[in-house]
Amino acid sequence: MEQKTISRREFLKEMGLVAGVSLLASSPWFSAFAQEQETQKEKARLAVIGTGSRGCFHLNMFVRDPKCEVVAICDDYRPSIDAALKITPHANVYTVYRKLLEDPNVDGVLIATPLHLHREMVEASFQAGKHVFCEKSLSKTLDDALAIYKAYQNTDKVLFVGQQRLFDPRYIKAIEMIEQGVIGPIQGIKTFWYRNNDWRRPVPSPELERKINWRLYREFSLGMMTELACHQVQLGSWALKELPNRMMGSGSLTWWKDGREVYDNVSILYLYDSGVRMSFDSIISNKFYGCEEQIMGHEGTIEPEKGKFFYETIPPAAGILQLVNEAEKGIFESIPFAGPSWVPETANKNKGEFLIGEKPKEDGSRLTDRAFVEAVITGKRVEKLVEEGYYATTLSILGDQAMQEGRIIDYPDEYKIDYLNHKAPSALAPAAPENV
Amino acid sequence: MKDTVITARRKKTEVFTFIACIVVAIGLNIFAIAKYNTAWSELYSQIVYVLVIGCIIYALWTVLRLVFYGIIGLIRRL
Ligand SMILES: NC(=O)c1ccc[n+]([C@@H]2O[C@H](COP(=O)([O-])OP(=O)(O)OC[C@H]3O[C@@H](n4cnc5c(N)ncnc54)[C@H](O)[C@@H]3O)[C@@H](O)[C@H]2O)c1
Repeated sequence: MEQKTISRREFLKEMGLVAGVSLLASSPWFSAFAQEQETQKEKARLAVIGTGSRGCFHLNMFVRDPKCEVVAICDDYRPSIDAALKITPHANVYTVYRKLLEDPNVDGVLIATPLHLHREMVEASFQAGKHVFCEKSLSKTLDDALAIYKAYQNTDKVLFVGQQRLFDPRYIKAIEMIEQGVIGPIQGIKTFWYRNNDWRRPVPSPELERKINWRLYREFSLGMMTELACHQVQLGSWALKELPNRMMGSGSLTWWKDGREVYDNVSILYLYDSGVRMSFDSIISNKFYGCEEQIMGHEGTIEPEKGKFFYETIPPAAGILQLVNEAEKGIFESIPFAGPSWVPETANKNKGEFLIGEKPKEDGSRLTDRAFVEAVITGKRVEKLVEEGYYATTLSILGDQAMQEGRIIDYPDEYKIDYLNHKAPSALAPAAPENV
Repeated sequence: MKDTVITARRKKTEVFTFIACIVVAIGLNIFAIAKYNTAWSELYSQIVYVLVIGCIIYALWTVLRLVFYGIIGLIRRL
């Protein structure tokens, strides 16, 4: 198995950036790599709880990282255990996660189970003294998200959330450009995720339907909101440095009427106090437009999924070429009877430029995993990472609530934490009078 | 087939004509920069286009001359 470490220098090279200083400013979570030279000979002993598709994806990353040793895995479904053992044959196998947490050889756990289980697993892991990487969404309910955040506040352990865009060079570069004012003040963000598949997984026997296709049932998941929107709405707070206070939306089941309980067609608007809006749209019966986030500034647009940015005004062609072009037009074009009074405002044909000089090769998952390994070794927390994950989760949940209730939802004060323009209720409460 | 003799005078005329065409192309570039209000650095950054345009002008001028002297020759023969 090929094991390869990535140094901060290599990472910057990958991003096509020579000077990393400004980059570090736009990516506080990247500070996880700050001590990567000193930790060269150390190893993080990790365990993965939930070795389904995402758990195995992480296992594949971990076994390639020389600073990591996968010591244990846990799953309560035999095929998932077998899949994991193919990747890491020597790991100890557990079927009950609490037993795994008793293993003193485990420094940190990665939780990749369905999200309704995250809260109890994160809390138990912290209680057992383990560092935690919890896949997104942090939870299915606001209470669980807040409980996870509080558990994090009450421990000195590391918590990572599976919001890999935070470690994706394209996104980091995009945010850096936004902070430098390259695209001007942001006027709106449009996010969408279109697919054309039923999102189902094959089930060997009917009683396993809910266990395997948990994404489709409200008991376990909020469907597209917790699975897809969660990634994209996180970009709003990162790019705007502001959290929305209101949301509205509409959701329906228009195509995959196969017994599922979650929507297959959703549209949400997040309203920021500044007047800017961010939308999230998703349909899983048409994939023409794919997945993208369009960050629209007064002077340019960034589409980080494509890894591109577009200036509003393209610099004009050289004078001599314009002259030749005009002469050519004069010679070859027939004279119209009258100019058109209306020209359709179709999308700009501007091809744009790559954010990091080339077509994107991968998302930030590999770097997120490497950063987690580093953080487990050093025990150093990564600033703002959990807060970004917390709000990605709560905004997805509230978006779902807005659709369910068919009304405009105000972000509830009791679920605010101290981050950006939000203040935790305790911080808002008037100070108790001092004893005199 | 007859041997063709290109006189020194003809060569000189052609060289001057070519230089004149390049000068005209440079003039066009200056005119275009002023007209479209683009950067003066295009005086050298667009030099390849200027040379190409100079060659095109020279070729067009040569075609014009050939047609003109052809017609004159024809008239004289009549
Ligand atoms: N960050 C990303 O891009 C990304 C991508 C896909 C999934 N995810 C997240 O990863 C998590 C898992 O998704 P998935 O697609 O791998 O699901 P999955 O169904 O493929 O895997 C979940 C696994 O958890 C196991 N499990 C369930 N209950 C358990 C328990 N009590 N103890 C131990 N194991 C248990 C299941 O048997 C299964 O093997 C979800 O939170 C999902 O949102 C994140």
